[in-house]
Amino acid sequence: MYMENALENFEISISSATCLKSNNTIFSDINYTLKSGELLLVMGPNGCGKTTFIKSICGIQKLEEGAIKLNNVDISHGDSQHLGNFLYIGHKNSLNDSLTVFENLEYLCALDRSIQNNIKSEITRNLSFFGIENYKNYLVSKLSEGNKKKTSLTRLLLTNKKVWLLDEPLSYLDENGANKVLKLLNNHLIGGGIIIASSHIDFSVDIGNSKVFYMDNSL
Amino acid sequence: MIKTLFYKEFQNYFRNLSSIFLPLIFFFLIISIFPLLIGPDKVLLNKIVPGIVWITIIFTTLLSSNNFFKDDYNNGYLETFLTSDSSVEFILFLKIISCWLFTCFPIIIFIPLVSIFFNISMKDSFIIISTLVIGSPVLISIGIFGSALTLGLAKNSILVPIIILPFFIPILIFSASAIESVSSGTPYEMQIYILLALLVFVLPTMPYLLKYTLSLSINN
Repeated sequence: MYMENALENFEISISSATCLKSNNTIFSDINYTLKSGELLLVMGPNGCGKTTFIKSICGIQKLEEGAIKLNNVDISHGDSQHLGNFLYIGHKNSLNDSLTVFENLEYLCALDRSIQNNIKSEITRNLSFFGIENYKNYLVSKLSEGNKKKTSLTRLLLTNKKVWLLDEPLSYLDENGANKVLKLLNNHLIGGGIIIASSHIDFSVDIGNSKVFYMDNSL
Repeated sequence: MIKTLFYKEFQNYFRNLSSIFLPLIFFFLIISIFPLLIGPDKVLLNKIVPGIVWITIIFTTLLSSNNFFKDDYNNGYLETFLTSDSSVEFILFLKIISCWLFTCFPIIIFIPLVSIFFNISMKDSFIIISTLVIGSPVLISIGIFGSALTLGLAKNSILVPIIILPFFIPILIFSASAIESVSSGTPYEMQIYILLALLVFVLPTMPYLLKYTLSLSINN
Protein backbone atom coordinates (compact mmCIF):
# COMPACT_ATOMS: atom_id res chain seq x y z
CA MET A 1 0.00 0.00 0.00
CA TYR A 2 2.81 2.42 0.78
CA MET A 3 5.03 3.49 -2.04
CA GLU A 4 8.37 2.84 -0.37
CA ASN A 5 9.48 0.45 -3.09
CA ALA A 6 8.42 2.62 -5.98
CA LEU A 7 10.36 5.77 -5.33
CA GLU A 8 11.71 6.23 -8.87
CA ASN A 9 8.27 6.38 -10.43
CA PHE A 10 6.77 8.44 -7.68
CA GLU A 11 4.95 11.36 -9.21
CA ILE A 12 2.01 13.62 -8.54
CA SER A 13 0.38 15.40 -11.42
CA ILE A 14 -2.22 18.10 -11.09
CA SER A 15 -3.98 18.66 -14.37
CA SER A 16 -6.38 21.51 -15.20
CA ALA A 17 -7.56 21.67 -11.59
CA THR A 18 -10.44 24.09 -11.13
CA CYS A 19 -12.28 24.82 -7.94
CA LEU A 20 -15.50 26.75 -7.39
CA LYS A 21 -16.94 27.88 -4.09
CA SER A 22 -20.48 29.26 -4.22
CA ASN A 23 -19.96 30.25 -7.86
CA ASN A 24 -16.69 32.07 -7.21
CA THR A 25 -13.69 30.62 -8.97
CA ILE A 26 -11.07 29.97 -6.31
CA PHE A 27 -8.50 28.71 -8.79
CA SER A 28 -8.70 27.47 -12.32
CA ASP A 29 -6.67 25.40 -14.74
CA ILE A 30 -3.68 24.61 -12.52
CA ASN A 31 -1.17 22.22 -14.05
CA TYR A 32 1.83 20.91 -12.17
CA THR A 33 3.83 17.74 -12.12
CA LEU A 34 5.93 16.90 -9.10
CA LYS A 35 8.47 14.11 -8.98
CA SER A 36 10.18 12.55 -5.98
CA GLY A 37 12.35 15.06 -4.19
CA GLU A 38 10.47 18.17 -5.29
CA LEU A 39 8.69 20.86 -3.35
CA LEU A 40 5.79 22.93 -4.59
CA LEU A 41 5.52 26.15 -2.64
CA VAL A 42 2.10 27.78 -2.99
CA MET A 43 2.34 31.50 -2.37
CA GLY A 44 -0.03 34.40 -2.50
CA PRO A 45 -1.83 37.03 -0.46
CA ASN A 46 -4.33 36.18 2.27
CA GLY A 47 -7.56 34.70 1.02
CA CYS A 48 -6.25 33.77 -2.40
CA GLY A 49 -7.09 30.08 -1.97
CA LYS A 50 -3.84 28.52 -0.79
CA THR A 51 -5.59 26.42 1.85
CA THR A 52 -8.32 25.38 -0.58
CA PHE A 53 -5.68 24.27 -3.06
CA ILE A 54 -3.88 22.13 -0.46
CA LYS A 55 -7.17 20.66 0.71
CA SER A 56 -8.20 19.80 -2.82
CA ILE A 57 -5.09 17.64 -3.23
CA CYS A 58 -5.95 15.39 -0.31
CA GLY A 59 -9.59 15.21 -1.29
CA ILE A 60 -11.19 17.34 1.43
CA GLN A 61 -12.14 19.96 -1.12
CA LYS A 62 -13.84 18.62 -4.22
CA LEU A 63 -12.60 19.84 -7.57
CA GLU A 64 -15.02 21.19 -10.14
CA GLU A 65 -12.81 20.04 -12.99
CA GLY A 66 -9.47 18.39 -13.50
CA ALA A 67 -7.65 15.57 -11.83
CA ILE A 68 -5.00 14.92 -9.22
CA LYS A 69 -3.00 11.85 -10.12
CA LEU A 70 -0.60 9.89 -7.97
CA ASN A 71 1.45 7.61 -10.22
CA ASN A 72 -1.26 7.95 -12.89
CA VAL A 73 -4.10 6.92 -10.58
CA ASP A 74 -6.76 9.56 -10.19
CA ILE A 75 -7.16 10.33 -6.48
CA SER A 76 -9.24 13.49 -6.67
CA HIS A 77 -12.38 11.67 -5.55
CA GLY A 78 -10.78 11.11 -2.20
CA ASP A 79 -11.67 7.45 -1.77
CA SER A 80 -8.64 5.74 -3.21
CA GLN A 81 -6.28 3.86 -0.94
CA HIS A 82 -3.48 5.94 -2.44
CA LEU A 83 -4.56 8.73 -0.11
CA GLY A 84 -2.71 6.66 2.50
CA ASN A 85 0.50 8.18 1.16
CA PHE A 86 -0.54 11.70 2.12
CA LEU A 87 0.12 13.43 5.38
CA TYR A 88 -2.01 16.55 5.67
CA ILE A 89 -1.19 19.05 8.40
CA GLY A 90 -3.51 22.00 8.20
CA HIS A 91 -3.11 25.44 9.72
CA LYS A 92 -5.35 24.21 12.50
CA ASN A 93 -3.29 22.00 14.76
CA SER A 94 -5.68 19.04 15.24
CA LEU A 95 -4.77 19.13 18.90
CA ASN A 96 -7.31 18.42 21.59
CA ASP A 97 -7.14 21.06 24.32
CA SER A 98 -8.03 18.68 27.12
CA LEU A 99 -5.23 16.21 26.36
CA THR A 100 -1.50 16.59 26.94
CA VAL A 101 1.13 17.06 24.23
CA PHE A 102 2.20 13.44 24.48
CA GLU A 103 -1.34 12.07 24.42
CA ASN A 104 -2.26 14.20 21.44
CA LEU A 105 0.71 12.95 19.45
CA GLU A 106 0.03 9.37 20.49
CA TYR A 107 -3.52 9.59 19.20
CA LEU A 108 -2.65 11.41 16.00
CA CYS A 109 -0.08 8.71 15.33
CA ALA A 110 -2.71 6.02 15.96
CA LEU A 111 -4.47 7.37 12.86
CA ASP A 112 -1.33 7.07 10.76
CA ARG A 113 -0.88 3.52 9.57
CA SER A 114 2.58 4.16 8.17
CA ILE A 115 3.85 4.34 11.75
CA GLN A 116 4.90 1.13 13.42
CA ASN A 117 3.45 0.10 16.74
CA ASN A 118 6.15 1.04 19.26
CA ILE A 119 5.41 4.74 19.13
CA LYS A 120 5.71 5.92 22.73
CA SER A 121 9.51 5.95 22.91
CA GLU A 122 9.67 7.49 19.43
CA ILE A 123 7.45 10.40 20.48
CA THR A 124 9.53 11.08 23.59
CA ARG A 125 12.73 10.99 21.53
CA ASN A 126 11.40 13.27 18.79
CA LEU A 127 9.88 15.92 21.03
CA SER A 128 13.41 17.16 21.75
CA PHE A 129 13.93 18.01 18.07
CA PHE A 130 11.86 21.16 18.48
CA GLY A 131 12.95 21.55 22.09
CA ILE A 132 9.48 20.94 23.54
CA GLU A 133 10.36 17.84 25.59
CA ASN A 134 9.66 19.75 28.79
CA TYR A 135 6.07 20.33 27.69
CA LYS A 136 5.45 16.62 27.21
CA ASN A 137 2.88 16.37 30.00
CA TYR A 138 1.37 19.84 29.63
CA LEU A 139 -2.22 20.20 28.55
CA VAL A 140 -2.33 21.65 25.05
CA SER A 141 -4.63 24.45 26.23
CA LYS A 142 -1.73 25.75 28.34
CA LEU A 143 0.72 25.98 25.42
CA SER A 144 1.57 29.02 23.34
CA GLU A 145 0.60 29.03 19.67
CA GLY A 146 4.18 28.44 18.61
CA ASN A 147 4.54 25.39 20.82
CA LYS A 148 1.22 24.04 19.56
CA LYS A 149 2.55 24.37 16.04
CA LYS A 150 5.75 22.59 17.03
CA THR A 151 3.74 19.78 18.62
CA SER A 152 1.71 19.38 15.48
CA LEU A 153 4.80 19.44 13.27
CA THR A 154 6.47 16.75 15.37
CA ARG A 155 4.23 14.40 13.38
CA LEU A 156 6.55 15.03 10.44
CA LEU A 157 9.35 13.32 12.33
CA LEU A 158 7.22 10.33 13.22
CA THR A 159 5.46 9.55 9.96
CA ASN A 160 6.76 7.42 7.11
CA LYS A 161 4.39 8.91 4.55
CA LYS A 162 5.85 10.12 1.30
CA VAL A 163 3.74 13.11 0.38
CA TRP A 164 3.45 15.97 2.85
CA LEU A 165 0.74 18.56 2.45
CA LEU A 166 1.53 21.42 4.78
CA ASP A 167 -0.65 24.46 5.22
CA GLU A 168 1.36 27.40 6.57
CA PRO A 169 4.03 25.26 8.27
CA LEU A 170 6.03 28.28 9.41
CA SER A 171 3.30 30.36 11.00
CA TYR A 172 3.77 31.23 14.70
CA LEU A 173 7.28 29.73 14.70
CA ASP A 174 10.36 31.58 15.92
CA GLU A 175 13.42 31.75 13.70
CA ASN A 176 15.05 28.75 15.28
CA GLY A 177 11.89 26.67 14.94
CA ALA A 178 11.40 27.74 11.34
CA ASN A 179 14.97 26.74 10.48
CA LYS A 180 14.37 23.33 11.99
CA VAL A 181 11.23 22.88 9.91
CA LEU A 182 13.17 23.83 6.77
CA LYS A 183 15.82 21.28 7.71
CA LEU A 184 13.08 18.65 8.06
CA LEU A 185 11.62 19.55 4.69
CA ASN A 186 15.04 19.32 3.07
CA ASN A 187 15.68 15.91 4.60
CA HIS A 188 12.33 14.66 3.39
CA LEU A 189 13.07 15.81 -0.15
CA ILE A 190 16.49 14.15 -0.06
CA GLY A 191 14.78 10.98 1.06
CA GLY A 192 12.67 11.04 -2.09
CA GLY A 193 9.50 12.58 -0.69
CA ILE A 194 7.22 15.19 -2.18
CA ILE A 195 6.07 18.30 -0.34
CA ILE A 196 3.32 20.71 -1.22
CA ALA A 197 3.35 23.61 1.19
CA SER A 198 1.57 26.93 1.36
CA SER A 199 3.15 30.00 2.83
CA HIS A 200 3.17 33.75 2.47
CA ILE A 201 6.93 33.72 3.14
CA ASP A 202 9.12 32.61 0.27
CA PHE A 203 11.35 29.93 1.76
CA SER A 204 12.09 28.27 -1.55
CA VAL A 205 15.62 29.74 -1.55
CA ASP A 206 16.44 27.59 1.47
CA ILE A 207 15.29 24.44 -0.22
CA GLY A 208 16.79 22.76 -3.23
CA ASN A 209 14.56 21.52 -6.02
CA SER A 210 11.55 23.68 -5.40
CA LYS A 211 8.87 25.16 -7.62
CA VAL A 212 7.02 28.27 -6.61
CA PHE A 213 3.43 28.76 -7.60
CA TYR A 214 1.98 32.25 -7.12
CA MET A 215 -1.75 32.23 -6.71
CA ASP A 216 -3.46 35.37 -7.79
CA ASN A 217 -7.15 35.38 -7.24
CA SER A 218 -8.93 38.45 -8.51
CA LEU A 219 -12.33 38.20 -6.89
CA MET B 1 -4.61 1.40 17.25
CA ILE B 2 -8.19 0.61 18.25
CA LYS B 3 -7.23 0.60 21.90
CA THR B 4 -5.48 3.95 21.63
CA LEU B 5 -8.36 5.62 19.83
CA PHE B 6 -10.93 4.29 22.27
CA TYR B 7 -8.73 5.42 25.13
CA LYS B 8 -8.59 8.90 23.63
CA GLU B 9 -12.36 9.20 23.74
CA PHE B 10 -12.36 7.98 27.34
CA GLN B 11 -9.71 10.45 28.40
CA ASN B 12 -11.50 13.23 26.60
CA TYR B 13 -14.70 12.55 28.58
CA PHE B 14 -12.87 12.11 31.87
CA ARG B 15 -11.02 15.40 31.47
CA ASN B 16 -14.41 17.07 30.95
CA LEU B 17 -16.27 15.50 33.85
CA SER B 18 -19.13 17.96 33.46
CA SER B 19 -20.14 16.25 30.23
CA ILE B 20 -20.73 13.05 32.22
CA PHE B 21 -22.35 14.62 35.27
CA LEU B 22 -24.55 17.15 33.53
CA PRO B 23 -26.98 14.52 32.17
CA LEU B 24 -27.09 12.78 35.56
CA ILE B 25 -27.75 15.99 37.49
CA PHE B 26 -30.36 16.92 34.92
CA PHE B 27 -31.99 13.52 35.33
CA PHE B 28 -32.16 13.67 39.13
CA LEU B 29 -33.42 17.23 39.03
CA ILE B 30 -36.35 16.33 36.82
CA ILE B 31 -37.06 13.11 38.72
CA SER B 32 -37.17 14.95 42.04
CA ILE B 33 -39.10 17.98 40.81
CA PHE B 34 -42.02 16.02 39.32
CA PRO B 35 -43.30 14.58 42.65
CA LEU B 36 -43.00 18.03 44.21
CA LEU B 37 -45.19 19.60 41.56
CA ILE B 38 -47.71 16.79 41.09
CA GLY B 39 -48.06 15.78 44.71
CA PRO B 40 -47.61 12.40 46.37
CA ASP B 41 -50.08 10.51 44.18
CA LYS B 42 -48.54 7.04 44.09
CA VAL B 43 -50.56 5.67 41.16
CA LEU B 44 -50.13 8.73 38.97
CA LEU B 45 -46.36 8.98 39.62
CA ASN B 46 -45.94 5.28 39.00
CA LYS B 47 -47.59 5.77 35.63
CA ILE B 48 -45.63 8.82 34.47
CA VAL B 49 -42.12 7.87 35.60
CA PRO B 50 -41.25 5.90 32.41
CA GLY B 51 -42.27 8.98 30.43
CA ILE B 52 -40.11 11.26 32.58
CA VAL B 53 -37.13 8.97 32.14
CA TRP B 54 -37.54 9.00 28.38
CA ILE B 55 -37.90 12.79 28.28
CA THR B 56 -34.63 13.11 30.21
CA ILE B 57 -32.90 10.76 27.79
CA ILE B 58 -34.16 12.82 24.83
CA PHE B 59 -32.91 16.09 26.35
CA THR B 60 -29.59 14.50 27.23
CA THR B 61 -29.24 13.29 23.67
CA LEU B 62 -30.04 16.73 22.30
CA LEU B 63 -27.60 18.39 24.71
CA SER B 64 -24.70 16.08 24.05
CA SER B 65 -25.13 15.66 20.31
CA ASN B 66 -25.83 19.29 19.47
CA ASN B 67 -22.18 20.32 19.24
CA PHE B 68 -20.78 16.85 18.98
CA PHE B 69 -18.29 17.58 16.18
CA LYS B 70 -17.76 21.26 17.00
CA ASP B 71 -14.46 20.86 18.88
CA ASP B 72 -13.02 18.42 16.38
CA TYR B 73 -14.09 20.72 13.57
CA ASN B 74 -12.60 23.84 15.16
CA ASN B 75 -9.24 22.32 16.05
CA GLY B 76 -8.89 20.53 12.72
CA TYR B 77 -8.98 16.97 14.04
CA LEU B 78 -11.95 16.23 11.80
CA GLU B 79 -9.95 16.98 8.67
CA THR B 80 -7.05 14.97 10.01
CA PHE B 81 -9.01 11.82 10.56
CA LEU B 82 -11.05 12.17 7.39
CA THR B 83 -7.81 12.30 5.39
CA SER B 84 -6.09 9.58 7.37
CA ASP B 85 -5.63 6.09 6.00
CA SER B 86 -7.22 4.38 8.97
CA SER B 87 -10.87 3.40 8.95
CA VAL B 88 -12.89 6.59 9.35
CA GLU B 89 -16.11 4.61 9.79
CA PHE B 90 -14.60 2.74 12.69
CA ILE B 91 -13.48 5.93 14.44
CA LEU B 92 -16.98 7.35 14.04
CA PHE B 93 -18.45 4.15 15.43
CA LEU B 94 -16.17 4.49 18.47
CA LYS B 95 -17.33 8.07 18.90
CA ILE B 96 -21.00 7.06 18.87
CA ILE B 97 -20.41 4.24 21.35
CA SER B 98 -18.40 6.38 23.75
CA CYS B 99 -20.93 9.21 23.56
CA TRP B 100 -23.65 6.74 24.57
CA LEU B 101 -21.47 5.22 27.26
CA PHE B 102 -20.82 8.57 28.95
CA THR B 103 -24.19 10.28 28.57
CA CYS B 104 -27.03 7.74 28.44
CA PHE B 105 -25.49 4.78 30.22
CA PRO B 106 -24.99 6.56 33.59
CA ILE B 107 -28.70 7.41 33.59
CA ILE B 108 -29.66 3.82 32.80
CA ILE B 109 -27.55 2.59 35.74
CA PHE B 110 -29.65 4.66 38.13
CA ILE B 111 -33.04 3.41 36.87
CA PRO B 112 -33.27 0.57 39.45
CA LEU B 113 -32.70 3.11 42.22
CA VAL B 114 -35.36 5.42 40.80
CA SER B 115 -37.70 2.41 40.50
CA ILE B 116 -37.40 1.85 44.24
CA PHE B 117 -38.17 5.53 44.94
CA PHE B 118 -41.32 5.40 42.88
CA ASN B 119 -42.42 1.92 43.85
CA ILE B 120 -42.18 0.55 40.33
CA SER B 121 -42.34 -3.25 40.10
CA MET B 122 -39.27 -5.27 39.05
CA LYS B 123 -40.89 -6.29 35.79
CA ASP B 124 -41.79 -2.71 34.80
CA SER B 125 -38.34 -1.53 35.80
CA PHE B 126 -36.75 -4.25 33.69
CA ILE B 127 -38.75 -3.28 30.61
CA ILE B 128 -37.90 0.43 31.07
CA ILE B 129 -34.23 -0.47 31.20
CA SER B 130 -34.52 -2.76 28.16
CA THR B 131 -36.22 -0.13 26.00
CA LEU B 132 -33.63 2.44 27.09
CA VAL B 133 -30.67 0.17 26.40
CA ILE B 134 -32.02 -0.62 22.94
CA GLY B 135 -33.48 2.78 22.11
CA SER B 136 -30.97 5.30 23.42
CA PRO B 137 -28.06 4.29 21.13
CA VAL B 138 -30.41 4.90 18.20
CA LEU B 139 -31.33 8.32 19.57
CA ILE B 140 -27.65 9.20 20.09
CA SER B 141 -26.79 8.08 16.54
CA ILE B 142 -29.57 10.19 15.06
CA GLY B 143 -28.56 13.16 17.21
CA ILE B 144 -24.95 12.90 16.10
CA PHE B 145 -26.12 12.66 12.50
CA GLY B 146 -28.04 15.90 12.98
CA SER B 147 -24.95 17.65 14.31
CA ALA B 148 -22.86 16.36 11.38
CA LEU B 149 -25.48 17.61 8.96
CA THR B 150 -25.46 21.16 10.33
CA LEU B 151 -21.72 21.37 11.01
CA GLY B 152 -20.91 23.75 8.19
CA LEU B 153 -23.59 26.23 9.22
CA ALA B 154 -22.79 29.17 11.44
CA LYS B 155 -25.90 29.09 13.63
CA ASN B 156 -27.01 25.51 13.89
CA SER B 157 -28.15 25.10 17.49
CA ILE B 158 -31.86 25.54 16.75
CA LEU B 159 -31.75 23.54 13.56
CA VAL B 160 -30.57 20.25 15.06
CA PRO B 161 -33.59 19.55 17.30
CA ILE B 162 -35.98 20.50 14.51
CA ILE B 163 -34.29 18.12 12.11
CA ILE B 164 -33.85 15.15 14.41
CA LEU B 165 -36.90 15.15 16.69
CA PRO B 166 -39.24 13.65 14.06
CA PHE B 167 -36.84 10.71 13.72
CA PHE B 168 -37.10 10.06 17.45
CA ILE B 169 -40.82 9.43 17.27
CA PRO B 170 -40.85 5.78 16.08
CA ILE B 171 -38.52 4.80 18.91
CA LEU B 172 -40.62 6.67 21.45
CA ILE B 173 -43.87 5.13 20.19
CA PHE B 174 -42.58 1.56 20.39
CA SER B 175 -40.89 2.09 23.75
CA ALA B 176 -43.98 3.63 25.29
CA SER B 177 -46.08 0.87 23.79
CA ALA B 178 -43.81 -1.83 25.23
CA ILE B 179 -43.89 -0.27 28.70
CA GLU B 180 -47.67 0.12 28.48
CA SER B 181 -48.10 -3.52 27.41
CA VAL B 182 -46.09 -4.80 30.33
CA SER B 183 -48.05 -2.85 32.90
CA SER B 184 -51.35 -3.98 31.37
CA GLY B 185 -50.17 -7.57 31.08
CA THR B 186 -50.36 -7.92 27.28
CA PRO B 187 -47.48 -9.25 25.11
CA TYR B 188 -44.67 -6.77 24.62
CA GLU B 189 -42.18 -8.81 22.58
CA MET B 190 -43.22 -7.33 19.23
CA GLN B 191 -42.31 -3.76 20.25
CA ILE B 192 -38.96 -4.89 21.63
CA TYR B 193 -38.19 -6.72 18.38
CA ILE B 194 -38.98 -3.63 16.34
CA LEU B 195 -36.72 -1.54 18.57
CA LEU B 196 -33.98 -4.14 18.19
CA ALA B 197 -34.46 -4.06 14.42
CA LEU B 198 -34.03 -0.27 14.46
CA LEU B 199 -30.88 -0.59 16.55
CA VAL B 200 -29.40 -3.27 14.30
CA PHE B 201 -30.16 -1.16 11.26
CA VAL B 202 -29.07 2.26 12.54
CA LEU B 203 -25.88 1.47 14.46
CA PRO B 204 -23.87 -0.18 11.63
CA THR B 205 -25.11 2.13 8.86
CA MET B 206 -24.68 5.39 10.77
CA PRO B 207 -20.83 5.56 10.56
CA TYR B 208 -20.98 5.36 6.75
CA LEU B 209 -23.70 8.00 6.63
CA LEU B 210 -21.71 10.19 9.02
CA LYS B 211 -18.53 9.90 6.97
CA TYR B 212 -20.37 11.05 3.86
CA THR B 213 -22.15 13.88 5.68
CA LEU B 214 -18.98 15.11 7.36
CA SER B 215 -17.02 15.18 4.12
CA LEU B 216 -19.83 17.26 2.62
CA SER B 217 -19.91 19.56 5.66
CA ILE B 218 -16.20 20.34 5.64
CA ASN B 219 -16.25 20.79 1.87
CA ASN B 220 -17.77 24.25 1.97
